[in-house]
Amino acid sequence: MLNQAQLRLFEARLASIGVGRRDFLRMLAGMSAAGTMFLTTSAPTVRAAPAPGEKLAKAQVFRHGGFNDEPGSFDVNKDLYCNCEWNVFAGLMRFTPDYVSVPWLAEKVESNADGSVWTFRLRRDAKWSNGDPVTAHDFAWSWTRQLDPATAAPYSAFLYDLKNGEAFNKGQVKDAHEVGVKAVDDYTLQATLEGPRGYFPVLVAYAAALPAHRPSVEKHGDKWTEPANIVTNGPWVLESWSHHKQFTLKKNPHYFDRDNITLERVIYPIIPRASGFLPYDNHEVDYALVPPGDLRRLQADPKASKEIIRYFYPGTFYLVPQVTTPPFDHPKVRQAMSHAIDRKIIAERISQGFGIPAHAMIPPGLPGHFDDEALKQLQRFDPTLAMESLKGTPYEGGKNWPKIVMSMRDEPYAAKPMAEGVQAMLQEALNMPTELEVLEPRVFRERLWKHDLQLIWIRWFMDYPDPHNEYFDTFYGKRTTGKRQAWANEAFDDLISKARGELDTPKRMALYRQAEEVLQTDVGYIPVVWTVRYVAFKPWVKGLPRNKDGHIIPDGNIFRGMLEHIYIVEH
Amino acid sequence: MAIMARLRNKPSAEVSLWQDAWRRLRRNRLAVLGGLVIVALGFTAIFADVIAPYHYTKAHFLHTYELPNRDFWLGTDSLGRDMLSRIIYGARISMLVGFVAQLIVVSIGVPVGAVSAFYGGKVDLVIMRFVDVMYAFPRLLFVILLMSMLGAGLFNIFIAIGLTGWVNIARLTRAQILSLKEKEFAEGARAAGAGGLWVLGKHLLPNALTPIIVAVTFGIPEAIFTEAALSFIGVGINPPTPSWGQMVGEYQQYILSYWYLCVFPSVAIALTMLAFTFLGDGVRDALDPKLRD
Amino acid sequence: MPYLIRRVLWLIPTLLAMALVTFLVMHATPGSPLEPEGGNNPLSPAEQKNLAAKYGLDRPLWEQFGRFLINALRGDFGHSYVYKTRTVAEILWDALPVSLRLGAMALVIAAGLGVCLGVLAAVHQNSLWDYVSVTTAMVAVSIPNFVMAVFLILLFSFLIPVFPTGGWGGPRDWVLPTVTLALAPMAIIARYTRSSMLEVIRSDYIRTARAKGLAETAVISKHVLKNAFIPVLTLLGPLFAAVGTGSFFVESIFRVPGMGRFFVISMTGRDYPMIMAVVLCYGVFLAVMNLIVDLLYGVLDPRIRVGAKG
Repeated sequence: MLNQAQLRLFEARLASIGVGRRDFLRMLAGMSAAGTMFLTTSAPTVRAAPAPGEKLAKAQVFRHGGFNDEPGSFDVNKDLYCNCEWNVFAGLMRFTPDYVSVPWLAEKVESNADGSVWTFRLRRDAKWSNGDPVTAHDFAWSWTRQLDPATAAPYSAFLYDLKNGEAFNKGQVKDAHEVGVKAVDDYTLQATLEGPRGYFPVLVAYAAALPAHRPSVEKHGDKWTEPANIVTNGPWVLESWSHHKQFTLKKNPHYFDRDNITLERVIYPIIPRASGFLPYDNHEVDYALVPPGDLRRLQADPKASKEIIRYFYPGTFYLVPQVTTPPFDHPKVRQAMSHAIDRKIIAERISQGFGIPAHAMIPPGLPGHFDDEALKQLQRFDPTLAMESLKGTPYEGGKNWPKIVMSMRDEPYAAKPMAEGVQAMLQEALNMPTELEVLEPRVFRERLWKHDLQLIWIRWFMDYPDPHNEYFDTFYGKRTTGKRQAWANEAFDDLISKARGELDTPKRMALYRQAEEVLQTDVGYIPVVWTVRYVAFKPWVKGLPRNKDGHIIPDGNIFRGMLEHIYIVEH
Repeated sequence: MAIMARLRNKPSAEVSLWQDAWRRLRRNRLAVLGGLVIVALGFTAIFADVIAPYHYTKAHFLHTYELPNRDFWLGTDSLGRDMLSRIIYGARISMLVGFVAQLIVVSIGVPVGAVSAFYGGKVDLVIMRFVDVMYAFPRLLFVILLMSMLGAGLFNIFIAIGLTGWVNIARLTRAQILSLKEKEFAEGARAAGAGGLWVLGKHLLPNALTPIIVAVTFGIPEAIFTEAALSFIGVGINPPTPSWGQMVGEYQQYILSYWYLCVFPSVAIALTMLAFTFLGDGVRDALDPKLRD
Repeated sequence: MPYLIRRVLWLIPTLLAMALVTFLVMHATPGSPLEPEGGNNPLSPAEQKNLAAKYGLDRPLWEQFGRFLINALRGDFGHSYVYKTRTVAEILWDALPVSLRLGAMALVIAAGLGVCLGVLAAVHQNSLWDYVSVTTAMVAVSIPNFVMAVFLILLFSFLIPVFPTGGWGGPRDWVLPTVTLALAPMAIIARYTRSSMLEVIRSDYIRTARAKGLAETAVISKHVLKNAFIPVLTLLGPLFAAVGTGSFFVESIFRVPGMGRFFVISMTGRDYPMIMAVVLCYGVFLAVMNLIVDLLYGVLDPRIRVGAKG
């Protein structure tokens, strides 16, 4: 939340670049709808200068060991999960390590009175890696391409807030020009939305709004992201790609902020999960994510333990009892389950710290996190209460349970042990035996959309830090596509749609707080842990980005940009 | 008449083949050791409820990831479940996978091979071509394909391993019966008027059995191995049921932090396979007519 | 000669049948490639229609299979669904030689060392050497190779830092994966060599040769070895298969960019063109190897008339 002094400072800064008072007020309205937000005039890379006594290494090369699979391509615009390095592209906005959305290629962001039309003014010095200027046309074309049904982009629904976006994607509107995004002139992009959407500048900072280079796509088709063809507009450029072995990035010579970046080259060997943490141990890479299997021994090692960093990876693991199948069609059964789970044990002992106990959807440090005692009591761990809640149901006393199958998607980082922990707790507190089935991602998803799963153990990663993302995409009952479970609640839906258009932040947050309460009392879900990750950096890697509390924030789903901060010292 | 008499009193060669084999097997120390281990495993599998100190789902949340100690002889896993108990119960799955899969293999392979050999001609040709095609398929690949289609689960593993493994047995059966078909007593039996299938069942098959027995004995550890590989990839048994292969596959990544989670189930698999291999070697040596004394 | 031609011709329907079975099983597997792996929504029906058209999945099954066969004959296996910038042929062209080299090296070591160990064990039967090698062989066969891989890495990358943990750059990278892959086949070959040599040594005509007064080494090298090789040769076929499929795990753990890795990746990615191509590659390879083994068998043992009934 901005206080008065900050507001005045902010206004002064904006005035210095020509934003008048009226524009400022409009922008403020839009900002407050997006929660805590701080629009600076630009997002310069804070160049971390070497500390006294530190000498820069001659070769500023960073070996990045965080990729487990070969990228499918580098076309982020078409395929968000192509498993590539997103930072080769730059978008209109980006996230800081504090998860605040700030302008990147955009210089100025303003909206109309109710936040349904947003205008982005682009910087004039942004260029593609072949020298082409980055224009508003690039974004208009790229977003339309993403929504085009012919592209079949998995993340097309991300842009459904654009007017006619959904209709165009579903083939109901045939003309791409009817989609609410257009380049008013070369450096002005105007987005007309389906309604007031205060969170739009936050949404646009997520990687799902990154552009693609039109001439390259049109010339090379699917092969346009091969290193010989690819053209990007971000801080990095794909220099070489030895398929299935490694790829390298080098600094983009046309990037407007290149002088503030110290690293020259980044090498990414592809390290399958089966190889574990060994390449880092063997000094073959400078950075790697710590798998659960290696955490204990690294923490026991005096040297290695100093290299490990723990950080929140905004996401939530939760349990969804499908309300259309017995025994979960009884609200009391669901309530009983919500009291049966000892989240502390799951987070601390079973997952070895790869999670923290969750009592709501949104993790701490993000807008929409609620920490009040009343909320924590709603689904508190209380095995006696759990068993008592079964009174009056056919399963009273923990008997007569039908066959129950808990389904989860096959994924790493202790997802399976945690699910087994939940299984064991349900057995112990409620005598409820379950069988855990681990499904392949596609099989899981197909059955998810069909509501064919009985008890779901599922993990959600935040796309952008706004409660709308958390509640709408997961639990909104009237979703036209991608409804994850059969649960729906009128009161909840009303609160969510009201909050979506509400511009006053405190009022908006209050609505979401109410929504969380409805969600938990009706037990549409049972939050269990918020996700946590461990990473390791070699001691010669310096300049790691930190948030305002001093915690190191490596690249993740929301913040991406650590490569621009890092420098290597002699070793 | 003499021929009929000979048939009625079992030829001395037949009786002493089995007796002689048993005698030789008993003398082979390694094979006896293997056999004893297998019997012990069988007992463990059947009486797991009595032998295991804890139930395999019993979680001790305050004792997760513990090293082997007085309360938990082989340590505990991520939920604080006793590894010793889980390995004991795991014997059930491994024994089941080994025996049931082989049962399916034999039930399909032997009749197919026998019919093909006995009837010869076009029937033989068609069946053998089919067998050749199946043989061309890399077995593990096919098993993985089938498991992806069927989904995880014990029953599906039986089907996948069984459906892909009968080919070898069929070939063996056919080869044996073909070679025996020419031998005297079959001709003699036929000359005496015995019907085809009767000859097949009573005379040819028992003699054809020896290489089949050997193949089945070696097939059991192979099935256990396949289950471990499937679990390593991710299409195996569903928790909370413990299976050695699943434990090895899941805890292989923890080997540097909690070595006992992966090592003990590996040792269990290795011991079982060793036992079956010794026994199989012994059975083969015992049944080999060339090694008779 | 006609036998050879017949065998080669039989390859065709065999491969066809294999392709058909794979195709059918693949399409029967739940989880469609039209469902993205991640994201908050499934693809819209319009998008699915377009993607299906692009992949050719909107045609009837028999037409899809027919097209695949016709294109495969020209070496065009289609575009990978997962690795979007490359065709399957390109990917396999890079990966196949790697797997072939790894497999060949492993087999050479397995056969060479295995035979030596087996011969030595047979000649010095019941000695300490015999028992030790037999037991070691047993152990090598009993441990799954993905566990063995980790043990070897522990031993030779950490405790004694001689070899890297993975990759496929130079000869040093080749050692650990090859050894891991070769251990079990070597043990099997050693055991079979030993037992078949024992059998031959005890057989009649060797006794005759000894009785005639031939020197021991002459007896062994001339007669025994040659006849002992034949059963080993029969093993080679299945061993090729074992090495080929064992390479899945070894290639994953040691980051070897070979074909074995792709099979599992293509299964989870529902990358239909890739699955078909990988299975066919393995099938062709196995069939050719089996043919060569059969021919060698005939050459080595004149008693076996190649082409005789049996």
